[in-house]
Amino acid sequence: MRSGTTKTLALVAVFSSMASFAAAADTIKIGFVAPITGAAASFGKETVGAVRMVVAKTNAGGGVLGEKIVLVETDDACDPTQGTAAASKLVSSGVIAVVGGMCSGAVVPALKIYGDAHVPFVIVAANSTKIVAANPGNAFLVNSTGDAQTLTAMTLFAQKGIKTLAVVDEGDAFSADLSAIAQTQFKASGGKVVDAETTAKGEQDFSALVTRITAAKADAVYWTAYQDGGALLVKQLRRSGYQGLIALSDGSNAPDLFTVVGSAVNGAYVFGPTPLKDLPRGAAFSADFAAATGDAPGNYSALAYDAAEVLLDAIKAAGTTEGEAIVKALKGTRYEGIAGPIAFTEKNTLVGSNFIALVAHGGALSVPQK
Amino acid sequence: MGFFLQQLMNGLILGSFYALIALGYTMVFGVLKLLNFAHGDIYMVGGFVGLLILKLGSSWLGSGWLGVVVALFGSAALVGALGMLIERVAYRPLRQAPRLSVLITALAASMVLNSAVLALTGGRPVAFPADLGFVGYDLGPIHISVIQMALLVSTLILMLVLELFVSRTQYGRAMRAVSYDMVASRLMGIDVSQIVSLTFFLGSALAAIGGVFAGSYYGSLHFFMGFIMGLKAFTAAVIGGIGSIPGAMLGGLTLGLLETFGSSIPFIGSEWRDVAVFGALIFFLVLKPTGILGKTMVERI
Repeated sequence: MRSGTTKTLALVAVFSSMASFAAAADTIKIGFVAPITGAAASFGKETVGAVRMVVAKTNAGGGVLGEKIVLVETDDACDPTQGTAAASKLVSSGVIAVVGGMCSGAVVPALKIYGDAHVPFVIVAANSTKIVAANPGNAFLVNSTGDAQTLTAMTLFAQKGIKTLAVVDEGDAFSADLSAIAQTQFKASGGKVVDAETTAKGEQDFSALVTRITAAKADAVYWTAYQDGGALLVKQLRRSGYQGLIALSDGSNAPDLFTVVGSAVNGAYVFGPTPLKDLPRGAAFSADFAAATGDAPGNYSALAYDAAEVLLDAIKAAGTTEGEAIVKALKGTRYEGIAGPIAFTEKNTLVGSNFIALVAHGGALSVPQK
Repeated sequence: MGFFLQQLMNGLILGSFYALIALGYTMVFGVLKLLNFAHGDIYMVGGFVGLLILKLGSSWLGSGWLGVVVALFGSAALVGALGMLIERVAYRPLRQAPRLSVLITALAASMVLNSAVLALTGGRPVAFPADLGFVGYDLGPIHISVIQMALLVSTLILMLVLELFVSRTQYGRAMRAVSYDMVASRLMGIDVSQIVSLTFFLGSALAAIGGVFAGSYYGSLHFFMGFIMGLKAFTAAVIGGIGSIPGAMLGGLTLGLLETFGSSIPFIGSEWRDVAVFGALIFFLVLKPTGILGKTMVERI
């Protein structure tokens, strides 16, 4: 026990000396973490481009605190083990702050590592309530949490007169958490959860659970996980003749949903931030993003851009690269982002909700007609 | 009753996929005593090669049955050749090496395939460019689509053809001889390397057929899809009796049914599905390591 404490102290000393070492050089290192490989790799691709844009823009304008920013990019593969490894790598490379984090499963175990090293962490999309519970105080969420998303879902279910619900998750921190909240809230609102299912990541065959959902006569199915599984589920549900409402969490809010499912996804609801095309500065951002990366922006590109801007603004406001000062500056954030306004609550979560229910139609998500 | 029959159907379809992949596992193990961990990834690559064939030939193949059949044969041939190449590059130089070295090379081969497809697709799921729809026949309470029937029947036919090939032809006899004693086979004038290549070709071709079926049945392909499939097909091969061709078929179907019904037990959630699957693996390894149809092997020193 004693030697453990000494070791931790020694490690912290090493990390903080590294941080000051980095500050002494002519550059400021900012970490970026997201799934670059693995099933959720598209999230990494759509966010890293946006963060690079902010860094390039800031460096062209003279950098931060008179120094250029270097982006250290790491891969958490949306996986807890790799998330921990990526966090350790970032901390030991001397980054002063980190932006990124798409998957709650990978983010939760990394929180302590950043917390122990006093590295501020602006989380782009991961939004499990477990992050809020485990937050050592240095992590900030620019995406609404599972609670906010569930409220949006419940409003939709109430509007559509849904009495019986089936919830399907993938067993990871994000989707299991969302599923648990949804079940509790749906029951509290007087509905009946007729089926709760868990699948494994990478599984292709959902036939057994589709048969169970159909047999349980659920008015609606709520998939709380990511788009690769979501696409397969929607397709297999519709193919088996399921007629009810299908809702998908923000984890499934990706263009792949349409290329993979095709027209079967029409009419399904997906929760997520307001699409770029419906945002005032969205079109301009899409053009800039396409010019910078050669790709169309994803659903989290704008949020990643905002997150990086919020972080750099906080470093400027703090006037130092010291972690605690940046955290203090982040707490006072009042930022009008492309994706929406950003300010933080006492618990470092987003004030208000950026989620709305979108309906899939003709290969895109749009705000439903009232 | 309808629920039970529908789940039975679901289990048989899933089991057919496991059986197709398990056949390749079992053949390679039978001949070389090698667990080819790249086999699941070969299934995945098979699907992608089929996709490529359909994309390149989209103007004259269309997106119906003609395209799928051409993709099945084309992918089987090309991926069979890939299997031979992997054997030549990764396994043959290690034939005299300790078993563990080959096992590690097999894992490496799996990662090479996995990462290559990841790099090519950017990790995104890719839609399969063939749409066979879900038309079929209503048999009482359950619906059987044409593609489901095609999958079940082809798996059965392929298993029978393979069994006949191994038991009745000259190449099959050579294959069995090599599996008994490689050195003696060589002394009898059998070209061992050629037989091993042939084994890899057949196993990989079957996996590729599985991959193309998966693409046309589920509608999308994913670089990661070979991982779980590889593990489960391996489990199927062990349950059926590794080294036995009808065993692979039986093991695949058993596993498919076990998985489907294991997740439908009331009060036990579907998160226990894989517990049922791998619990069965442990059960067989402990109580009947030779599987349902496997024979006890005599360890030769």
